[in-house]
Order: sequence, then C-alpha cells, then structure tokens
Amino acid sequence: MKRLSTFLVALLVVLTAQAYVDDALSFAYEAASPYVKKGFTVREDAWGGDLGVKDQQAVQAQLFKGNEYWFCLGTDVKGAVLSVNVYDSKGNLINAETTRAGRLSAVRVEPQRTGTYYAIVTVHKSPVERTGWALVYAYK
Amino acid sequence: MPNILDAVLAGGLFLAALAPIHAQKPPEAVDLSSFPAQSVDDVVVPVPSEVFIVLDKLGNPNWRSELRDSLGRQSGNRAQVALLLGTVIAEGFVAVEAEDSEKVKDIGRRVLTLSKAINVEKAVLERSKSITDKAEVKDWLAVRKEFDGALHDVKAAMQELGDDDLAQLVSVGGWIRGTEVLTSIIRKNYTVDSAELLHQPALVNFFSKKLANLSNKRLAEDDLVDRIRKLLASIAPLIGDGEGAAIPSENVARIHKMTRDTVAAITSKGA
Repeated sequence: MKRLSTFLVALLVVLTAQAYVDDALSFAYEAASPYVKKGFTVREDAWGGDLGVKDQQAVQAQLFKGNEYWFCLGTDVKGAVLSVNVYDSKGNLINAETTRAGRLSAVRVEPQRTGTYYAIVTVHKSPVERTGWALVYAYK
Repeated sequence: MPNILDAVLAGGLFLAALAPIHAQKPPEAVDLSSFPAQSVDDVVVPVPSEVFIVLDKLGNPNWRSELRDSLGRQSGNRAQVALLLGTVIAEGFVAVEAEDSEKVKDIGRRVLTLSKAINVEKAVLERSKSITDKAEVKDWLAVRKEFDGALHDVKAAMQELGDDDLAQLVSVGGWIRGTEVLTSIIRKNYTVDSAELLHQPALVNFFSKKLANLSNKRLAEDDLVDRIRKLLASIAPLIGDGEGAAIPSENVARIHKMTRDTVAAITSKGA
C-alpha cells in the first residue's frame, strides 16, 4: 500500500508538472503567433520546465547566419515576470528586439555567424515558488 | 504539443502588438561557464528547411537535382528503420524546396509505412494525410510545417513508448541526409558564407553524446549506429574551430562524401 501511494504521489507530481508546462507552451505559441503572419515558421519542438525566482536556465540552439529568429517564451503563472535573452557562444548579448506582454515575452535575433547560441530564461518575480515556462522559436 | 500549436495559431489568438520592453535591461555579456551543466538543456535539432532557406537566399539551388530516385528499403532492423525514417522526412524538406508535389505525396506515404514498421503509425496518420492534401494544393509552407510536425510526432510517440534511443536515431538520420544535401549544394558553388552553414559543433557533439550513451544494448551495438558514431567523430574536426572560421571546400567535399556514403548504407541496408 505504501509503495502504491508513493507511486501515485510521484505520478501526480509528473502529471502536474506536465500540465503546467503544457499551459506555458500554449502561451509560448501565442507569443509566436504574430510572427507567423510575418512569414515565420514556428518549430514544433520546444523547451520547457519550471524555475524558482531569480533562477535561470540556458538552452542551446543551432542558429544559421542569414536567418531571422524569434524566441518566444510563455508562462502559466499570472503575475510572473520572465525574460528570454539570446547570447552567442562567447556570452555576448545579440538581442535585436525584445517584447513583453503579460505572460508572454519574445526576442528577435539575426545571427551574424552560424553556430551555437544560448537562450537564457530568467524568472524575475513570481507569486509562486516554482514557475512553469516554455520556449519555442520561429524562423524565416 | 502540435495540437496546442494548431489550436493557438488557428484559433486566431493573435496579439495586436507586444509592447517593447524598456525595463530590466539584460546584461550585455554573461559568463556561460557559470551555468551548471543541468542548467543547459539539450539542443533542439534544427529541421533541414532552416538551413535550406538560407541557401535559397544565397543563390538559386537546383533542388530537383538533389532529390533521390529511391527512398531506400527497410529491413527488419529497428535501428535501420528509424535512421531511414529520418532520411525520408529530410527528403520531404528537399521535395518541398523542389516544389515537387508527387514526390512529396510519395514521401508522406512512405513516412506512414516506416512509422508502422516501428509501431508509431497512429502518431503520423493525420500528418501523412495532411501532407498529401497540402501538397495537392501546393501549399508549400504548410507542407513544410507538416514534415516538422511528423518528425516531432514520431519522436514523441517513440519516447512515450520508452524508445528514446530510437527517437534519437530518427533525428540523426534526418541530419545526415540534410547535411548530404547541404554539402552537395555548397560544393557546386562554394563560398565561405555558404560553407559556414556547416559550422554546427553543438549538434555534432549532441548526437555523438546521445549515440555514445544509448541504453538499448542491441541499438548500441548495431553496425549502422557504430558507423554513424565514426562519421560524427570524423566530421567534428572539419566543421570549423570557432565561430566564423572558414571551412575550406576540401572539407565540404569530404563531409559530402562521408554523408552520401552513410545515407547509401542506411537506405540500402534492406535491399
């Protein structure tokens, strides 16, 4: 019985985490939707997770010189303030334009070199201990 | 995940405008080494069209000449089928660039057949139909999205079945075929700018690590998988030491030969 309840608790934790990542993902896609109208293609693959306040997560991306990208971040937590910024492999900021509205933020980049870049997600403030987030990108 | 994307995009949840951020200016530079390993996520593997559209901007490649006559044959070997599936989906992106609707439809059907062979056909049934429908009306942007979606759905279905190793092989197969096409086009009209598209150290490293740590013993010991490990190790020193370093035409030719031979090995394994 004890084993079963441990399993159920673990399952609940996984399902809850999945649920808020899915919600955050909806917001990330919503953040990307204006750029679809501008000819950008939104990737199906996404990054996501949860972070504490002031925590950061870096995600790696292979970007190609000649393309333009929007990285779009969403969170499921009302009142949370998150940001995404993109850095090159030497750690230099390459943001060309940033936007934010409510639970959505986005950054546009036009890489000057083909290579590895890092999108850094930061939770600046949040009413909850762990804040779910999801990040998608669009390219053209 | 694709359902959410479709719902959001098709549902018209467009924002009138996102407000520019004025507060919380980010630092101009960060020390990336200060991020602990667990804070750096795996790289998202780009789809071939991300690099193909740059080639379109740099010139006017003859995409039709890059299409293969045969999509290859499958064996009973799951590793070979997963790798082959990756190459076939990559071929879909080439066919979209070539705007060849018959080829696209053929590839859509083949994706379904191969998915069936590894028990994930349900995941791509709708995609396969959609690829055919959208190719029929020559909606190339939509077809391109469907191939991205098919790749994503197949991998997600495999992961749901606990077959993460197989999902990685689909990605690797697609990357190898994409790189074969990329190098074929670059070497026909070499420029330093176009060759720079091969500078993908994080991806090569990511694939190498994944293939070095396959949990499924049978897959880990598969001949094709071993061949691809060696391929990645051979490619790594050829794709430029640092950002912006020129990749000479000899390296492009070598990568092309290696990827072409590997694709041939993947696609002829079932013959």
